[in-house]
Amino acid sequence: MLSLSPSVDPAAVLRARLAGFAGFLQANGYGVGGGDAARVLQASAIAGVLDARVLRWSLQALLCGRADEWRRFDSLFDAYFLPVNKTAFEKARVARAARPQAAAPAGEAEVPVAAATQGAGARDDGNRAERHGASREESLASANFRDLHRADDVRAIEALMRRFARRMKRLRLRREARTLHGRSLDLQGTIRASVASGGTPIRLAWKDRRRVRPRLVVLLDVSRSMSRYSFFHLRLAQALCAELSDVHCFIFHTRITGVGEALRDPDPWRSQERLHLLAEGWGGGTRIGECLRDFNRRLAPRLVHSRTAVIVVSDGYDTGEPEPLAAAMAALARRARRVVWMNPLLGEPDFAPESRGMKAALPYVDLLAPGASLAAIERTLPDIMEVLR
Amino acid sequence: MEEVVELQRRLQQAGYVAERSLAAALLLMLDLGRPLLLEGDAGVGKTEVAKALATVRDAKLIRLQCYEGLDAHAALYEWNYQRQLLAIKLLEDDARTVEQKEHDIFSERYLLTRPLLEAITCAEPPVLLIDEVDRADEAFEAYLLELLSDFQVSIPELGTVRAVSRPLVVVTSNGTRELSDALRRRCLYQYIDYPSFEKELAIVEIRAPEAAGELARQLVTFVQEVRRMDLEKKPGVAETLDWAAALLRLGISTLDEDGAERILETLSALLKTRADRAGFTREVVARIAASC
Repeated sequence: MLSLSPSVDPAAVLRARLAGFAGFLQANGYGVGGGDAARVLQASAIAGVLDARVLRWSLQALLCGRADEWRRFDSLFDAYFLPVNKTAFEKARVARAARPQAAAPAGEAEVPVAAATQGAGARDDGNRAERHGASREESLASANFRDLHRADDVRAIEALMRRFARRMKRLRLRREARTLHGRSLDLQGTIRASVASGGTPIRLAWKDRRRVRPRLVVLLDVSRSMSRYSFFHLRLAQALCAELSDVHCFIFHTRITGVGEALRDPDPWRSQERLHLLAEGWGGGTRIGECLRDFNRRLAPRLVHSRTAVIVVSDGYDTGEPEPLAAAMAALARRARRVVWMNPLLGEPDFAPESRGMKAALPYVDLLAPGASLAAIERTLPDIMEVLR
Repeated sequence: MEEVVELQRRLQQAGYVAERSLAAALLLMLDLGRPLLLEGDAGVGKTEVAKALATVRDAKLIRLQCYEGLDAHAALYEWNYQRQLLAIKLLEDDARTVEQKEHDIFSERYLLTRPLLEAITCAEPPVLLIDEVDRADEAFEAYLLELLSDFQVSIPELGTVRAVSRPLVVVTSNGTRELSDALRRRCLYQYIDYPSFEKELAIVEIRAPEAAGELARQLVTFVQEVRRMDLEKKPGVAETLDWAAALLRLGISTLDEDGAERILETLSALLKTRADRAGFTREVVARIAASC
């Protein structure tokens, strides 16, 4: 420790201790950057370090960025600064030391996928898929997700999904370009043009209402019964997120969690790791009704507008009661332009939508679509976009 | 610490009951000159913070209410086209050159300042309240970030307008959309929760002094109990105050089991959705009132 050195400057120790706090928070998952250590020192100089409460509140305001960070701050502050809680501090240090190792195997397991999501790797794989020939690609597109295990397949389908998502984008752009005449005069433009002709507005400038882009909200069931499919649905969601601007993804099992940020993460490794953290309890039972109710209450008011299609990807096996599910679906259907339920089991020869959850949801679903293969999804999505036009 | 207590006292004089952590954050905001981002559920008094701050600092409050589709024209500046057209007509017979005329009709006389431009051109630093920033889209958020870091605006026809004084910026969000990390990093952060019993009682006593005493204690207990229930929309502080006014208006001076009928009549001030209202039968109200 620094304090053991005889010639040590107490002010320097204090500074180092304060500056280290930002790193401590970062290790605990806070969105704190490198420049924040300097800001901690600056804020401490202003607030003073003699009163722990003022320092605590000041640093809390400075370093927190969201509600969950705000709530966790007090205990972390205590753990770092207060000697009485030495054990808590030690625990945090152990946790910090253990994190990278704990995360590594999870990352390793996903290596082929993570590497294939982005950059040169993905392009390479695209080429390879093409070398296999059109028939190979076609068979992949129509293959059931649950039969795809080999790393080769995974990479090929990755590239396929990206191409598919790009096609979706073109679809949308063509439509937007079709506005020829404006609805109202653009006075700013008209006046600008008229100055040249001495103030007589000869050339008129027009403006049109900006088209509200259709929005996709994807709710993915990642419970155990869906585990064979959810991996591919996540990849598809990732491809959609990368190519289209207004796509919002959530995963649910017993809780509903937004994964948009994690899917958009440019670093595929980190993206994978964040998804893993989010999907805590992944593969457990499903409470679709509760999750949808939670979605309706917290997220839908802002997210779901009159040009939104909500796509629920689930097999409808719900461990909860069917009534909440029906109520939540009704509320969702009122809000959204279109509610699509993608069921990977649909399309199997002996399947009928008879699970309790499916039955409860069915009256409020505009379209029940198969979701087990890329071809099936591809047939469905343009139809959704068409409605949102 | 004295400074924090002093600011807390002055906020209270301005009609806002603030926790010490909020007062400390406000002090830091004044010292560092950074915006303050307030998050919390609707109705916990986020907007009031800016109003109270303006009162305490004796500064002008400039408010920008964000909404979906908000663009630079509505937030920053716009030309007064009607007057410009008129001016062009009047200048027709003028002997001046086109350049001079253009210079004239794109002068500040024809500029309509909107909240953001107004805030950075005030002589005295105003309090700029950017309300519900999560309603505006990401593009506007990015634009806002640029403004908040440089405090200057460039108007193509006019040139660059630099801030005369740095406004105190308070940004509020209901957390309905995830804000960008860039915005969060640029701001100080404060999460405002529903008030505790003591805090809410203090608020009621300040804002509705006629209800002070036993009724205030009872109605705050009632509201706190209501918040613990499973509701679609929990009542905020504003609802508590509305309800206090409603109770006073109907001459209800005490909440008890026998008055459940009359309490029911006033609940429209507290419960704002049909499902929530349907859950409050006479029995439920009587049970809560009895425990007050």
